[in-house]
Amino acid sequence: MIMATTATALIGVAVLLALLLAGVRIGVALGLVGIGGLAVVLGPEAAAIKAGVVFMDTLTRYELGTLPLFLFMAHVFFSIDASRDLFDAAAKLLGHRRGGLAYASIAGCAGFGTINGSSLATTATVGLVAYPEMRRRGYADTISTGTIAAGGTLGQMIPPSGALIVFGIIAETSIGDLFTAAIIPGITQALFYALVVFVLVRLNPAIAPAGERAPWSERWRALGKVWDIALLVAVVIGGITMGWISPSEAAAMGAACALAIAARRRKLTRQALFRAFEETLRTSGLIYLILIGALIFATFIGVTGLADAAGALVAGMGLGTFATLALLAVILLLLGSLLDGLALMLLTTPIMLPIAQEVGMSAVWFGIFITRAMEIGFVHPPLGMNLYVMQGVAKDVSIGRIFRGVMPFLASDFVHLALLILFPAIVMWLPDLLGN
Amino acid sequence: MKTTLIWLGGLALLAATLTDFLAVIGRHVGVPINGSIELMQAVVLLSGSVSLVMATWDDAHARVHLLTERMTPALRSFADALSDLVSLAFLLALLSGSLWLAADLWGGHEQSELLGVPWAALRLIANLALAGTCVLLVVRLAQGLRR
Repeated sequence: MIMATTATALIGVAVLLALLLAGVRIGVALGLVGIGGLAVVLGPEAAAIKAGVVFMDTLTRYELGTLPLFLFMAHVFFSIDASRDLFDAAAKLLGHRRGGLAYASIAGCAGFGTINGSSLATTATVGLVAYPEMRRRGYADTISTGTIAAGGTLGQMIPPSGALIVFGIIAETSIGDLFTAAIIPGITQALFYALVVFVLVRLNPAIAPAGERAPWSERWRALGKVWDIALLVAVVIGGITMGWISPSEAAAMGAACALAIAARRRKLTRQALFRAFEETLRTSGLIYLILIGALIFATFIGVTGLADAAGALVAGMGLGTFATLALLAVILLLLGSLLDGLALMLLTTPIMLPIAQEVGMSAVWFGIFITRAMEIGFVHPPLGMNLYVMQGVAKDVSIGRIFRGVMPFLASDFVHLALLILFPAIVMWLPDLLGN
Repeated sequence: MKTTLIWLGGLALLAATLTDFLAVIGRHVGVPINGSIELMQAVVLLSGSVSLVMATWDDAHARVHLLTERMTPALRSFADALSDLVSLAFLLALLSGSLWLAADLWGGHEQSELLGVPWAALRLIANLALAGTCVLLVVRLAQGLRR
């Protein structure tokens, strides 16, 4: 293994960045650099066989069944308009307060995040429902768009999260532990956003006027439309957290019960089922390719010893835990300006996870940390995918106004990320308490 | 063809849902379903294989658009063609490795422990999906060249 040096790995990383920026599919760029690197280090025969092994292992991995089934559950819920019901229930309860619909949007995003693991999907679906209502009630465009774009990132953190499933697979970490660990960061993130709304409305009450109070009969009717979804979510997430069911089993239960709920509401038509299949397969294929590429790339990085060298380098600098993690956060945020979330996670995890472990952090903590950093990338220019999704919903608002609206939430994101570094117990307390 | 594939992948998803759902129920009522994990592996492989083809068919694979969005149309077409070509190279490398393994293990009559699910058949499905994905990319490249 003459070429198995950190220099080989660094060349691989540089080629990978170039391919990604040239618009090559993320999974392909990761995989091709991985195979190419392994061919240089181990020889073409070993590289091809390793790639073949990773391919079959990924497709038959039992834990990976979690992903398509949670996606299937989410797409069944899309077909029954669950996002509208969740927002309506929150709006009926909170809409009469100043900024009430902004709180309701955050609650709607958090609620929708429990049945769907994607930031973009959460922003788009809640945005379609909440944005017109906020505008109708006289909310300023900045707070309307900012709240939904930022709230959409909750979809990525609150279990079941697609990003955490992917991280669990590539870092060989329990997906159940990751889901458990994400609960408190997800809740505190939502509370931070609510606090931002509270402060903004205090400073300028005209941006989010109070609405009419809905009578309790309407509130109960709205809650009646979401009780079954809430119960399902409680069983799925509670079951995983308490260790009663594995994440794969929870996903299957979630999908089965989502089908039952859709059937009970008489919305499980042949067309709806076909659409749910199509969307699920399309998104699964996207993630499978990325995972296959990432696992091959991680093997290459592992063989070259880059991660160990980086860990030793950071340890040699004697920065201490906080400074090291802050440095990683800065690198992630800078790279997040160039790469989208999954590419960022898959490129950096093989290198950064050993560094985090070197300073005493667990893989579970790192999974939450990197997912949080990814979320910031979703509302952080120049990429800021959620901002563009929000503009697709709010066509009358410029991207500049949307960015202005999301700025206070972005500031709260930085504070929240710093707190996760300063107080790792925010992440680890619940998994430790439950003995996971 | 596409509709058939979607129904095939969708039925595999339903089978996966049912298998694990019944396995959980069975375990909690004292009637465990032996081999449910092996069944799950088989149906997840089928849905995963179909999903790879579907994502390529619909060109749904994730890409970084930071630079390509700012390119001229001609340059962007070139970047798209390059992306297809690189994707084809990667998938062919993957296919060659996977076929190599399948050929090596063909005589071994690999099968799962409890239910005896034949792995050769699973490898065949996965390799067919990879080959199908390669064909889709070749077609797209040819269409791009013609334009």
